[in-house]
Amino acid sequence: MNLHIRPILSALLRNRTGAILVAMQVAIALAVLVNALYIVTQRIEKMGRPTGMDVENILIVQSAGFTAHYDLKSSIQQDLAWLRSLAGVLAATPTNAIPLSGGGSSQGLTIVPGDRTKNDSFGYYEVDEQGLDALGLHLVAGRNFRHEEVEPPITLDDAGRFVGNVILSRAAAKELFADQNPLGKPVYDTLGKQATVIGIVDPAMNSWVDSEHADWVFYMPRLTSALYGGVRYIVRTRPGERDAVIRLAEAHLATSNPDRVIHFVRPMTYFKDLSYLGDRSMGIYLLTVTGLMIAVTCLGIFALATFNVATRTKQIGTRRAVGARRADVVRYFLVENGMITSAGVLAGCALALATGYYLSLEYALPRLNLYFLVGGVLVLWATGQLAAWQPARRAAAVPPSVATRTV
Amino acid sequence: MLKMQDISKIYRTDLIETYALRSFSLEVTAGEFVAVTGPSGSGKTTFLNVAGLLEDFDSGRYELDGTDVRALSDDARSRLRNQRIGFIFQSFNLIPDLNVQDNVDVPLRYRGLAASDRRERITSALELVGLASRARHMPAQLSGGQQQRVAIARAIAGDPAFLLADEPTGNLDSLMARQVMDLLEQINEMGTTILLVTHDPELARRAQRNVHLIDGQISDFRAYEPRPAPSGAADAAGAALA
Ligand SMILES: Nc1ncnc2c1ncn2[C@@H]1O[C@H](COP(=O)(O)OP(=O)(O)OP(=O)(O)O)[C@@H](O)[C@H]1O
Ligand SMILES: [Mg+2]
Repeated sequence: MNLHIRPILSALLRNRTGAILVAMQVAIALAVLVNALYIVTQRIEKMGRPTGMDVENILIVQSAGFTAHYDLKSSIQQDLAWLRSLAGVLAATPTNAIPLSGGGSSQGLTIVPGDRTKNDSFGYYEVDEQGLDALGLHLVAGRNFRHEEVEPPITLDDAGRFVGNVILSRAAAKELFADQNPLGKPVYDTLGKQATVIGIVDPAMNSWVDSEHADWVFYMPRLTSALYGGVRYIVRTRPGERDAVIRLAEAHLATSNPDRVIHFVRPMTYFKDLSYLGDRSMGIYLLTVTGLMIAVTCLGIFALATFNVATRTKQIGTRRAVGARRADVVRYFLVENGMITSAGVLAGCALALATGYYLSLEYALPRLNLYFLVGGVLVLWATGQLAAWQPARRAAAVPPSVATRTV
Repeated sequence: MLKMQDISKIYRTDLIETYALRSFSLEVTAGEFVAVTGPSGSGKTTFLNVAGLLEDFDSGRYELDGTDVRALSDDARSRLRNQRIGFIFQSFNLIPDLNVQDNVDVPLRYRGLAASDRRERITSALELVGLASRARHMPAQLSGGQQQRVAIARAIAGDPAFLLADEPTGNLDSLMARQVMDLLEQINEMGTTILLVTHDPELARRAQRNVHLIDGQISDFRAYEPRPAPSGAADAAGAALA
């Protein structure tokens, strides 16, 4: 198949203004497309990171005592006993903070007491012996907490107390112990108090999804305290039973204890979604802008092709008269458009790389992945041809008699 | 060679039906030079379009080289136009963005000829019309008569059996018109059958046969004496003009 590249190109070069404008549009669209998609996929990857937790099947209850009769320990025991008695509930634990929610507590840990050279901070959660199960965490080494290990809540008088045992996330263990086996080893809080590592979970995440070290986390066997601004329960249900349990818990807990109020009973997904709202909005915004950009580019290509067809009616008729088949006419316009988009795509590659480089410097993003460039080139090329398809078909419909019928 | 029997061609608009050709019958044998005359609107262009497979017709029978063209697909018609028919238009119809040689090349490329073959044909066609030195000029850089000669080169570069010309001299002054006419005669002498539509009775007289159209029907056949030997042809016609 002969594409007649040379004569099409030389004719195109004699009418280049529109073509150059459209090619520039293609170039910009490619640069935007490639970089936007790259950023979006990074956000999607971020949102899709394994949390290690059974987020979909977890609900969170937050309450706070407000009368003088309120007793933290017995309230917690009562509520947990009731929650655990529900058929749909797999496990429940009190805790001081909600993972992935953006709110929580963190604490420095070192493996040398009083080591000031490092100030790594790890998100922590006070849980009981059902803590890991309630979160759905996977123990990869060591053992879980035992009931008798769960320590009493901290109070204003002993707020600096540490615990006897801790369970680390694998990432936290790696940061602290590098390649050593952390099991049975001591870790120290910032006051130099010691705990022993008894287990490792993986994967796991703390409360701050935007943190560089969202997987630095450890768990303490301790009843949570009212000092954290209320008491929270993490309740894990059987798949599909979460919402039913939420309704039951709302109804029951609201009246079961007149000495405390229920702040909320919510699915854990609520907090996760809220934390990723910025990423999601950014993704949607970028995709919308990119989509519009490509649409406008297609419109430009379509408009130029339509214009070219309209102004060349007689030429098309003449070509038909001297022997062009309809397919030849379609091909002519697609080849011409292919040249314009190719020029744009070529310039766009340079522009995309430059933009990607700038973004990587300015916003500390990883450098543009070249697969995205290749993908973007293919997408723009294909949509460009698609946009020229209809005008090309219209050109092919020009009858050969136009050659003799128009002046 | 070309045989039309009872051809009718009707243009339908919302309001009226125009019989551009009615019960039109004509036979043209190989090597003939036929002039078609008639008042404006009489159906000359329609006839040429039908003959050149640029337009369909409504009834009747048309055989070209013994093939019933009715049954041909659009692609087959394109191929036939490309290989058997050369067109010359009143307004030249050169492609403004292509230079002279690329214009002549257009039908040859559609024919899929090899580059070397095309180059040879382009050169000899341009030599025949006397424009070999202008091969790289753009159409806009040429006079009307030169443009029409480029168009003639384009029409004959593929060695067609038929040359169809619709008012080829209509946009030219009389000197240039005569040059074009000389060229057509020369081409006819080399064996190409020519159908020429013209308003100009003097040009028509230079053809071997005249078909006069009125209201889509042939009103008059005027066969002239076959032209004498090629060398004297132009002079004889020139004398008739003077
Ligand atoms: N596309 C069309 N639609 C409707 N009517 C048409 C069309 N083309 C031609 N006609 C009509 O068909 C008739 C014959 O037209 P045609 O162009 O063949 O005449 P012509 O002899 O070539 O005229 P002229 O000498 O002015 O070129 C005219 O009445 C014209 O109005
Ligand atoms: Mg006409």
